[in-house]
Amino acid sequence: MTATAERSGVPSLTTTITLKLRQPARLRNVELPLLLFAIGMIVGAMALVELGAQGSIDAGMLGLVAGLGVLGLVGHVILRVSAPEADPFLLPIALLLNGIGIAEISRLDIAADRNGWDAFGVKQIVWSGMAMVIAFAVLVAFRNHRILQRYRYIAMFTGLVLLLLPMLPGIGQTVNGARVWIRLAGFSFQPGELAKIALAVFFAGYLVTARDSLSMVGRTFLGMRFPRVRDLGPILVIWASSMVVLVFQRDLGTSLLYFGLFLVMIYVATARLSWVLLGLALFVGGALAASRLLTYVQGRFQGWLDAFSPQVYNRQGGSYQLVQGIFGMADGGLVGTGLGQGRPQVTPLAYSDFIVASLGEELGLIGLFAIIGLYLLLVSRGFRIGFNGQDDFGRLLGVGLSFVIALQVFIVVGGVTRVIPLTGLTTPVLAAGGSSLVANWIIVVLLLRLSDTVRAHPRLVLEGSGP
Amino acid sequence: MSELTLLVLRLAFLLLLWVFVFVIVYTLRTDLFGQRSRRLKDAQPAAAPFAAAASAAPAAAAALTEPLDRRPPLASERTAHRLVITSGPRQGMELQLPEDQLAIGRSSESGLVIRDDYTSTHHARLMLWNDEWVIQDLDSTNGTFVDGARVTLPTPVPLGTPVTIGQTNFELRR
Repeated sequence: MTATAERSGVPSLTTTITLKLRQPARLRNVELPLLLFAIGMIVGAMALVELGAQGSIDAGMLGLVAGLGVLGLVGHVILRVSAPEADPFLLPIALLLNGIGIAEISRLDIAADRNGWDAFGVKQIVWSGMAMVIAFAVLVAFRNHRILQRYRYIAMFTGLVLLLLPMLPGIGQTVNGARVWIRLAGFSFQPGELAKIALAVFFAGYLVTARDSLSMVGRTFLGMRFPRVRDLGPILVIWASSMVVLVFQRDLGTSLLYFGLFLVMIYVATARLSWVLLGLALFVGGALAASRLLTYVQGRFQGWLDAFSPQVYNRQGGSYQLVQGIFGMADGGLVGTGLGQGRPQVTPLAYSDFIVASLGEELGLIGLFAIIGLYLLLVSRGFRIGFNGQDDFGRLLGVGLSFVIALQVFIVVGGVTRVIPLTGLTTPVLAAGGSSLVANWIIVVLLLRLSDTVRAHPRLVLEGSGP
Repeated sequence: MSELTLLVLRLAFLLLLWVFVFVIVYTLRTDLFGQRSRRLKDAQPAAAPFAAAASAAPAAAAALTEPLDRRPPLASERTAHRLVITSGPRQGMELQLPEDQLAIGRSSESGLVIRDDYTSTHHARLMLWNDEWVIQDLDSTNGTFVDGARVTLPTPVPLGTPVTIGQTNFELRR
């Protein structure tokens, strides 16, 4: 087809790569300095942690973190070849957040005297490396996001299976009261993390086809157009499955995440507020019923509303963790105690669910706001990519994937700061947890792929006639 | 490691964290606040030194400004914003010119895709240099013509000048 191909036959892979690298890639040149900046920041964070907590620098850990940075640079080169027009900010932001998380997790390792392979920080670095490799493989494998639209029902099936997998006896595991883990061949994994990607793909694909029947018909009531009863099917199915998660897996956060994702995507697809009101009514109704009937939800509500009463504070599964997190953040104040110099280890699960509180203690309000600002930029880039999309599927997928990150950050930070009841969710790419890292890096890479196809799209096509 | 050094280092870390955030926000400013444009009085003096340098040493200026000049191009009154197809199979179609450059060719990666028997895969590209659109022929088989003359070097395209690629004529308009 191309002029060069006609002359020299099919171009080999290496010539394609060198040709691609020679093309001017303005966006990648923006990305490279940001990426180097981010790598410097994560190595610096690690060094500060070790200086602050043990007074000397452990070159081994710094080397591991720098290795992660090199992996980020490898990702940059892959983007230059495979997606030169992709958004230049996603990779540096994700790498910086990941590195800050690793630094804080190793800080807690030092406090708890965990060394070698027992250290959560080392595990987190290895998981991050694996997550990035898997994500870049996804980037190379999916040259076009529209392929995903074809597999929307497979995605739905995969998503539901992954969601319900922990309930299987034998491989399912209950950790800290929530049954969201599976254990296979010595590895623990939280399949629900991957399910959110599969469900976002399904929602986008489904809503593109079903949008008209969901938005055009129905009767108007109180100035709003409400959908027909028979169109309510999907929302009821999603509601039911999120209630299953709530009741049987005892995981409030995940259930909120999936349902919120569906509501936002249906709102973006149909632009009708009635769906959101219906959905919120359903969820609040379900959650209220659950808070009456399920003791763990009841405990979470009490720990939230009445956190500082001694009775709730001292109770098993009470508000001890939440209150310790708040005390930690209060101790950090405006500029924080400094990395490695606070006492975040007092809070239970400070390396995973409460990583935000640990960082709030050591980096202070100023540092915590910078981290939230980074998430804000990440999510706004995602929305921007969705907004720029040429096809409806890409638009919905971009919005859905970035909203998952936004909602997850809101649920975690809101829970830790006592804005909403505390739920056990991981902070995307920041908190300890392999499955969460893999899932969120895949989200980042899908957004990169989307942004590349969005920009490479022609503005005007002229189909000429022959001579 | 003294207390003071640690204090300085940890404040520097917080500062750099925010520098990172603001570098991104600064790079995104056109995205967040929209294009800086339509302010003619401000735009003219800023563009003038560049124009003078360009006329003095065109080759050197071109080599210097193209990779270095990352500022969003200032929209002055004489800059074209639209590309209008004046003859050929799809006469009358028009497109909004992008911010910095537009690739033209048969490849679907191009911004303006022209699929006829006379167009090369990567035929030509339009670039905005110092508020002026310049067309560069990318070694195409059948050539690019500005006002009837075949171009080999990057050539400015004034407003309303016919440009021919294959069977298609277009011109730039404000």
